[in-house]
Amino acid sequence: MKLKKYFALTRAGILESFQFRLAMLVMVAGNLLYLTVVYFLWKAIYASSGTDVVNGMTFSDTLIYLVLATALFNFMEMYAVWEIGRSIQSGKIVLDLLKPMPFRSYLFWSYSGTFVTQFFATFLPTFIIVCVVTGGAVPLGINLLYFVISVVMAVIINYSIDFMTGTICIYTESIWGINIMKQVIVLLLSGATIPIAFFPEPLKKAVSYMPFQSIYNTPLSILLNGSPKAETVLSALGVQAFWCIVLLIISNLFWKFSLRKITVNGG
Amino acid sequence: MKRKGLGFYLRIYCKILAQDLKSKMSYRADFIISTIGMIFTNIAGFVSFWILFRSFPEINGWSYYEMLFLYGFSLVSLTPVQCFFDNNWSLRMYVYSGDFIKYCFRPINLFFYYQSEVFDIKGLGQFAFGIGTLIYSWNKIGLGFTPLILLKMIVFLITASLIMIAVMNAAAATCFWITNSFYVMDLALKFKDYARYPITIFSPVFRFIFTFVMPVAFIAYYPSLVILRPDDVPILSWLSPLFGCLFFYLSYKFWMFGAMRYSGTGS
Amino acid sequence: MSNIIEIKNVTKEFKVLNRREGLKGSLKDLFSRDYKTIRAVDNISMTIAQGEIVGYLGPNGAGKSTTIKMMTGVLEPTFGQITVNGNLPYKDRTRNAQEIGVVFGQRSQLWWSLPLIESFKLLKDIYQIPDEGYSSMIKLYKSLVDIEPLLHKPVRQMSLGQRTLSDILAAFLHNPKIVFLDEPTIGLDVSMKNKIRTLIHALNKEKNTTVILTTHDMGDVDALCQRIVIIDKGKMLYDNDIEHLKGFFGSYRTLKIRPDGDIKDHSDAMKNELAGRSVSVTSDDEWISILVNEDKTKVMDVLNVIQKSREIRDMKLEEISTEEVIRKIYEEGVK
Repeated sequence: MKLKKYFALTRAGILESFQFRLAMLVMVAGNLLYLTVVYFLWKAIYASSGTDVVNGMTFSDTLIYLVLATALFNFMEMYAVWEIGRSIQSGKIVLDLLKPMPFRSYLFWSYSGTFVTQFFATFLPTFIIVCVVTGGAVPLGINLLYFVISVVMAVIINYSIDFMTGTICIYTESIWGINIMKQVIVLLLSGATIPIAFFPEPLKKAVSYMPFQSIYNTPLSILLNGSPKAETVLSALGVQAFWCIVLLIISNLFWKFSLRKITVNGG
Repeated sequence: MKRKGLGFYLRIYCKILAQDLKSKMSYRADFIISTIGMIFTNIAGFVSFWILFRSFPEINGWSYYEMLFLYGFSLVSLTPVQCFFDNNWSLRMYVYSGDFIKYCFRPINLFFYYQSEVFDIKGLGQFAFGIGTLIYSWNKIGLGFTPLILLKMIVFLITASLIMIAVMNAAAATCFWITNSFYVMDLALKFKDYARYPITIFSPVFRFIFTFVMPVAFIAYYPSLVILRPDDVPILSWLSPLFGCLFFYLSYKFWMFGAMRYSGTGS
Repeated sequence: MSNIIEIKNVTKEFKVLNRREGLKGSLKDLFSRDYKTIRAVDNISMTIAQGEIVGYLGPNGAGKSTTIKMMTGVLEPTFGQITVNGNLPYKDRTRNAQEIGVVFGQRSQLWWSLPLIESFKLLKDIYQIPDEGYSSMIKLYKSLVDIEPLLHKPVRQMSLGQRTLSDILAAFLHNPKIVFLDEPTIGLDVSMKNKIRTLIHALNKEKNTTVILTTHDMGDVDALCQRIVIIDKGKMLYDNDIEHLKGFFGSYRTLKIRPDGDIKDHSDAMKNELAGRSVSVTSDDEWISILVNEDKTKVMDVLNVIQKSREIRDMKLEEISTEEVIRKIYEEGVK
């Protein structure tokens, strides 16, 4: 079966991540610490604002949003830019290209093991804890289904952006510089660090024309909205689907175009 | 054999630095992109800061410009760790591949020899950005300027730097024990993000933790109180230079202990 | 001659993690870990005199690197004592480092992005080499190898051979009493190997530097070492002159045969035909090699037996090579 070879990569990834049990512990501790800081920071912000609702979000809305954004981040971050960049610079890319599957899929499925462990190790526990602690502030209904669909598309968009950024490393030696630029842009403009609702109007408008908010803001908004109107959800998912397709195509074309540079120059 | 004092090490460091800069210049594209990346990071940090706090005149008794001062202070105090101790980030790779052994055969201090190998010039952009932020907020707060206050400023900036260096050294050294210490470093790096908020926003328990367990509060908060609230400086602020030296020394010992232990287990 | 290195009953033990297999195993490893102790070096003693070139041999994982790490002060022996140049290396690693040079396989210790000459200048400062010593060393280098084209080339742009050469030069630069070379010729082409052997030999002669060399290449041993030490599984198997080694198992010679037909088949058949005689049969693409212990079996007898059942196209008789002796030692130990 064709899928089997992909699942073999998934399994290897799971095995590998178990080897790093301390790393997992540290990651969990790191997240808790981060969330603690976020909690107190926003508490102070809400306290000084004098109102319960800021920019249409209550304190608990904001907190749930940010907690789940962190969980999503840990789930989605694959350091693909580093991986591609290093592979290109060390010349290992030539070996990767010889694998019996496209490089893009090879890389993605190698990471999919981490997706699985990360989902169970960070996202799911976080989600359950948030649900229990907030006592029903997260609506549990049809929005969960939309959320899952939305996350799948978010993963694809995020990976496409990563892959595109990684491809740039064919042209320059600076993996660090390229990666950090991508990272700050994505984290800020996707609403991963601050909900987009808090952005000033002009910025909000600018961001709405970019693909980044589809990564964090869209899935989380869908999740937090318990009684969604069909057209709101559909239009949000539609925008995501649009970016999915556009970025898939662009990143693939860019890669194919750039690959010629490798095959011509011999890496 | 002549004694190897501070002068000896300083001379060697300068020579390595000069050579390193020369070779960096030959990779201009990388240098420029990394610098742009660094500027991006700082702008994004500043924009996040601005989005968060623009609509609130004060948070927890701290005015917007005072918060900005803290932010600038943390940026400047992070420069030395970025410039001089960047090789810590590669440590786990050297340890993992066994290449770390090559540092063990020189008749000079192992820690020095290892760190001297890399000077990261990108940190200077952050330094300029931080200084700019400090001067701007300094003016807005109307702190005034005397030689004494400048001296205080320098002493406490160095203090804060030492603490951050200590944190990163200790985090890097964990790779001598655990395989994937990247997460630990990543967590430690986040310290700098937490450092920019006044510690008073936290509950007493976390105030204690951020002061004595993870010395985040010493990176910007306690040292800058000396400048910002000269009438009401807690004893911890005055003690922070002492803590800075102590933490740095301990982290150095920890790093060396790890290095010795690592080579003790072979590769 | 005075002894520069003395190793007395040295043992080194490591604790290693037993990893379990498979998905279930790694799940278990998450919760409990079990360690076992491994003896990498087991009660080894030897002394090495100033100016000697010693070949330190053994199969992979025999404990060679561990011994070298102990001599360079990176590792501390679990039991026993090592003195290098009168010091305990692991007690004062930095002081020991001043007197030794190390080249560790393919891991360059030079500054990756700097031209070689700049690395040399930095080493001059680090080792506090006096000006005269430095310039006379550079002069010596120039007389031995053609380093001019290397001096201004960054290490990262060098070929493996050039890099190894540079690393060896850097290791000798501060005129150390001892130089440790861990597989210096690994991965190099024949002419580069030769160049490096000549260089090591010349530097040893010129400066009376003690050289301790680990290698898997018997060419290195034949070209450089008067004395060899062999260890396996942490235990010392042999420590003596290289000439002595060849007579060690009695008088051996190798009979090389090229028969008509498939070499592998013939070689298997010969093993049966010659069973009971003191010979060992191996084969490669071209030759079947029969190692004959002439104290027990005559070469002519062997030849008689094997030509009974096959046509022999070509044959030759060789004295036993170092490589074969060492392989015998690895396989059978020392009786």
